[in-house]
Amino acid sequence: MRHDAFSKYHPLTNFLFFLGAIGFSMVIQHPAYLALSFAAGCCYCFALEGRKTGRLLLGLIPLFLLVAAVNPLFNTRGETVLTVVFGRNYTLEALVYGMVVAGMLVNMLVWFRCYSAVLTSDKFICLFGRILPSLSLLLVMVLRLIPNLGRKARQISGARRSIGKGLGAQSTRREKAADGIQILSALTGWALEGGIVAGDSMRSRGYGTARRTSFQLYRFTPGDMALIALMGALAAGVLACGGTQADFTPVISIHPVTWGLAFFGIFLFLPSALHLQEAIRWHISISRI
Amino acid sequence: MAHFHIQDLTFSYPGGSRPVLDGIHLTIAPGEYVVLCGQSGSGKTTLLRHLKTVLTPHGRRSGTILFNGLPLEQTGQREQAAKIGYVMQNPDDQIVTGKVWHELSFGLESLGVDRNTMRLRVAEMASYFGIQDWFHRDVDTLSGGQKQLLNLAAIMAAQPEVLILDEPTSQLDPIAASDFLATVRKINRELGTTILMTEHRLEDIFHAADRVVVMEDGRILANDAPRAVCYQLYRQNSPMFPALPTPARAFYAAGGTGACPLTVREGRSWLTAALETVTRSQPEPEPVPEQGEPALRLKDLWFRYEKDSPDVLKGLSFTVPKGALFAIVGGNGAGKSTALKAACGICKPYRGKVEVFGQELKKYSAGRLFRENLAMLPQDPKSLFVKDSVGEELEEMDASREEISSVAEDCQLTSLLNAHPHDLSGGEQQRLALAKALLTKPRLLLLDEPTKGLDSFYKRKLAGILTGLTKSGVTVVMVSHDVEFCAEYADLVSMFFDGQIMTTNTPRRFFGQNSFYTTAANRMSRCVFQNAVTVEDVVSLYRENTR
Repeated sequence: MRHDAFSKYHPLTNFLFFLGAIGFSMVIQHPAYLALSFAAGCCYCFALEGRKTGRLLLGLIPLFLLVAAVNPLFNTRGETVLTVVFGRNYTLEALVYGMVVAGMLVNMLVWFRCYSAVLTSDKFICLFGRILPSLSLLLVMVLRLIPNLGRKARQISGARRSIGKGLGAQSTRREKAADGIQILSALTGWALEGGIVAGDSMRSRGYGTARRTSFQLYRFTPGDMALIALMGALAAGVLACGGTQADFTPVISIHPVTWGLAFFGIFLFLPSALHLQEAIRWHISISRI
Repeated sequence: MAHFHIQDLTFSYPGGSRPVLDGIHLTIAPGEYVVLCGQSGSGKTTLLRHLKTVLTPHGRRSGTILFNGLPLEQTGQREQAAKIGYVMQNPDDQIVTGKVWHELSFGLESLGVDRNTMRLRVAEMASYFGIQDWFHRDVDTLSGGQKQLLNLAAIMAAQPEVLILDEPTSQLDPIAASDFLATVRKINRELGTTILMTEHRLEDIFHAADRVVVMEDGRILANDAPRAVCYQLYRQNSPMFPALPTPARAFYAAGGTGACPLTVREGRSWLTAALETVTRSQPEPEPVPEQGEPALRLKDLWFRYEKDSPDVLKGLSFTVPKGALFAIVGGNGAGKSTALKAACGICKPYRGKVEVFGQELKKYSAGRLFRENLAMLPQDPKSLFVKDSVGEELEEMDASREEISSVAEDCQLTSLLNAHPHDLSGGEQQRLALAKALLTKPRLLLLDEPTKGLDSFYKRKLAGILTGLTKSGVTVVMVSHDVEFCAEYADLVSMFFDGQIMTTNTPRRFFGQNSFYTTAANRMSRCVFQNAVTVEDVVSLYRENTR
């Protein structure tokens, strides 16, 4: 992954930000807010992943168009009839509303993409390991088991192929099913055996002998505290200023923009700003060398 | 005061007729480095497991085990977990979590160590074991050697007084294994941690050990300093004698008396001192076998796993004559296994040609290729097992009853037909996998690391089966790290490096020319003899020269 200033904050800070960003994107239907959220999301996504963002956006365009165009087919409320499809009114208001819904969906996908790049599974576990140590350990073990079993299954089927016991191109469906069952039963045996060793290894290292503590890879610093306070203040500002209402059917009525939009924008651009700040600092320090 | 004091320990598994441990007396002093050896099934693992209550197997038991003067059962679980570290055989299965840092801290988390102490200990361990570069990696991206080192570090983080290791290197390649053993040695020397270890690779640890304990059928056969144990095993003509380090074996087989050499260096000084004034006759290298009909021919193969990944095979070409035992040696991750996979069509090279018995591989249908033509054994024999008993495994191969019983006989499985495949020892599993492959009646057999994890006794059994096969006209190609095995049994040896075969020759010419990648017998004797690659070579030359 690329270096990113915001990702280096404590997982709790990361998590609270995404809670805010994705939460707002889920409830606010105001077009100005949507557009701003989209811009901020894309900006941060680009900071995290670079060119791959382009590919993501390219995939989102058809999704946006589809959802926007399909909505009026189901929702016929609205005053301005554009045309009649299947004997039902296709209205401008419903089309606009479709665009808003599609925009919310796209925003969420973009923000979730950022979320998964920032809050990797070990950060997530660090976050919840504190509250539920055994459950998070279980989660870690399961997360490791699944790809392991997949790998073993491929290993078994490859090995069996090389003694003429695998599937060929002309195998029937019944043969495939029988082969699958064989591999599954072998895997079960394997998993059980591995489980016994893992259990021994855990108990041998004192699992269950004391109240579990958890190792913290990440430190909660005053910087985290400050950033959380800032995010809280901005979010409170958005809520206090209001003006996020927008109705589309039967008549489009959008609340005029308030200061809330500015707070909202600052909130969402925080990670990108931090990223940019670090990039600039680094360039300056490089030039000094 | 002794760390462990075992008095008259006898143990048998429920339903077992014969005790697995029979009147064991053993004392282990603080700071000692003790190696426990013995054939598979001699009770080594059972004994080790008795030294930690949570791992102790169920069964009938008598006798006492004292830990620091107290009966082990009276030592608290938490204290045992912290003070007695236990490293198991399989590097993969004993890892619990998904990240290196998490695995390092797992034991401390379980013991409830507070956060600041934990940070420091984890940092210490990562630095001491050189793990800092892969501290944030997923454990599944590590090599086997790295995984086992991580297991060791994770256990050392709890600062144990005793470290028990149960064949820790049996799944590792020789280089990773000697790295691991060197680390264990370092822990013993620098931290004073008591070490009790079972191991096949006696070559690497005998000279470092303070004491060697040899077990046979649940009893302690010998318990003394390494050199004294060598002498004792030689005197008793024990089946463990062939497992001893090469210099010691050569010394006694050549009729030496007194303290034997344990390392190549000591072996060298023994030979140079003994043979200073004699004329040195050189053994003739074996004649180059006539190039018969080829069984397998690879021509200029190029292969890589992914579009953007580097090439693994770079113009690989070699020819295997019919009926030969052809060994391919070379470093780790060089692509040897890939070469085998390419030879049987599991990997599809993007350039080049493979011919099996004069016909191009592509022209075989899958059914015909793997029936009565070619079979490949994977590195892990367990990946071939899908049934609940050895008998069922063999019956699965659609062969007649007579064939099954004759193959079971050849592979010495007749007494094991009712056992569960996963309950077999490593050597038995290897033979079962081989038997399954043989039931397809292959004319060409490809083996990937067949000696991995086998002790010297099972290796000789395997060698017997393989030479029997080549005599009956089957061609065997094997990829191996085991230079001693290749030197002794192969007809032709190839060096694989950088995606291609660098050279192919008969074992004596091949290993005689190498100075690093060669057998211990050769390294030890090259100062006086040329082309002596096995212990037998050294012994017969020594006899000839001292007559």
